Amino acid sequence: MPRNRTVRLAVLGSSVQRAAPSGFPSSRSSALKRRIVVGFLVLASLVLITVSFRSSALDGVQGTGATVLRPFEVAADRIARPFADTVGWFRGLVDAKHENEKLRAQNEALRRQLILDEGAIHENVELKKALNYIGPPSIADYDRIDTSVVANPQSALDESIVIGAGSSDGVQPNSVVVEPLGGPDGSGALVGTVDRVTSHASRVTLLTDSGSAVTATDVTNPHVIGAVRRGGGSSDVLILDRVPKTPVVRIGDTIVTAGSLGTGPLKSKFPRGIPIGTVSSRSANDTTLFQNIQLKPLVDFSSIQTVVVLVPKSR
Amino acid sequence: MDGLKAALVLFVAALLQLSVLTEYRLFRTASIVLVALLSVALLRGSMFGAVAGFMTGLLLDTATLGTLGITSLLLTLGGFWIGRYGETTARDRFHAPYVSVAVVTALYLFGQLVLQFMLGEPAPAGLVAHGVPGALLLNLILTLPVYALIRRLFPPLELGDRIREVRLLG
Repeated sequence: MPRNRTVRLAVLGSSVQRAAPSGFPSSRSSALKRRIVVGFLVLASLVLITVSFRSSALDGVQGTGATVLRPFEVAADRIARPFADTVGWFRGLVDAKHENEKLRAQNEALRRQLILDEGAIHENVELKKALNYIGPPSIADYDRIDTSVVANPQSALDESIVIGAGSSDGVQPNSVVVEPLGGPDGSGALVGTVDRVTSHASRVTLLTDSGSAVTATDVTNPHVIGAVRRGGGSSDVLILDRVPKTPVVRIGDTIVTAGSLGTGPLKSKFPRGIPIGTVSSRSANDTTLFQNIQLKPLVDFSSIQTVVVLVPKSR
Repeated sequence: MDGLKAALVLFVAALLQLSVLTEYRLFRTASIVLVALLSVALLRGSMFGAVAGFMTGLLLDTATLGTLGITSLLLTLGGFWIGRYGETTARDRFHAPYVSVAVVTALYLFGQLVLQFMLGEPAPAGLVAHGVPGALLLNLILTLPVYALIRRLFPPLELGDRIREVRLLG
């Protein structure tokens, strides 16, 4: 059977157009349209990145969007909460007996410690009064804004959370954020600082972010002063950096924010005495001037439910 | 109608991602939004994928108060590319959603890293490299139910609706 010449031409590479369904553009204009749409979307994304990163022009729009989305997020959270609680309940049952014994022993030790501490606190207050001592601000000098976490970190690179309180509630940029029950005795533990505020929501940069650092001290040895920041690996480990070799740091010691008096921009934004973590390992070698101190944070940064924002009391 | 369904599906996926999955450390690296978007793009084509990706990215960036446009850019490109794959070589192939999710998950994570680096923000490459296997595994596990659900909502188009041009090669 002789070959059909027309078909042969097609086989050699000429493009055969299918009849487009009615209402659709032709293939050529479809490809062009596709390129234009994608090009436009990419361009729009780049413009958004530039404007959002370099200015605060879009903050209002973003804040309104976040406010609109918040009820949906809260609803989703409420629907999922019973399931999460059930999982937590079963998980808790496994460790309950062992944990009960451990907590009873810890409770006894803490009762004894509390009696000693109360005496020391009273004495401290009296001595400060007598000496007219002005120290760094403490948590008592701040107002507390209790709020819930709206969105946890979204990826391995993301070290921020979104909280449900904003400027209309009194939150300011750089406000200190603590977890209400994170501390060793049920007191707050440091979470991070507010870096972006909208009217009804704020973004908090966690202490585990590579750009975060806080001056800290050992609660049992005030001569130990260093900077707490993220370790090289996972967010489970923080390091207490810049601590000279001489002051003794013991494993299990609690590290708290040091605060500082300073003035102007040099004044620490953190009040003194917010627990950060406990010393999990310490070492020193001849090649460095400082100790290598690792901390176990008191907060599980991946699943924070509620936080307290500390804002300076209006005088 | 497809646009409305896609908007609803991706909105629910975004809510799940924001409020439920990220509460658990185990699921923090997974992205149900990415899996849902790629499934939609695979079934509805490149333009649909690109527009859906842009809008979903905008939604996520707005909700997390992040830099607007970063997630949009990555999801637009991911949706477009997988849409093209769906329009051309992926037709009815069983492995197509899994290959798409695996490749785009890795590229998405490294894309985020590159963008953060270019914006002068901390970009720890080691952390991303460590997170890739976990993210791949979780996203591939999510692909099975998510793709099955989305395929029910968006039945594959007839061949004529999807392919408007063929090039015959010897």
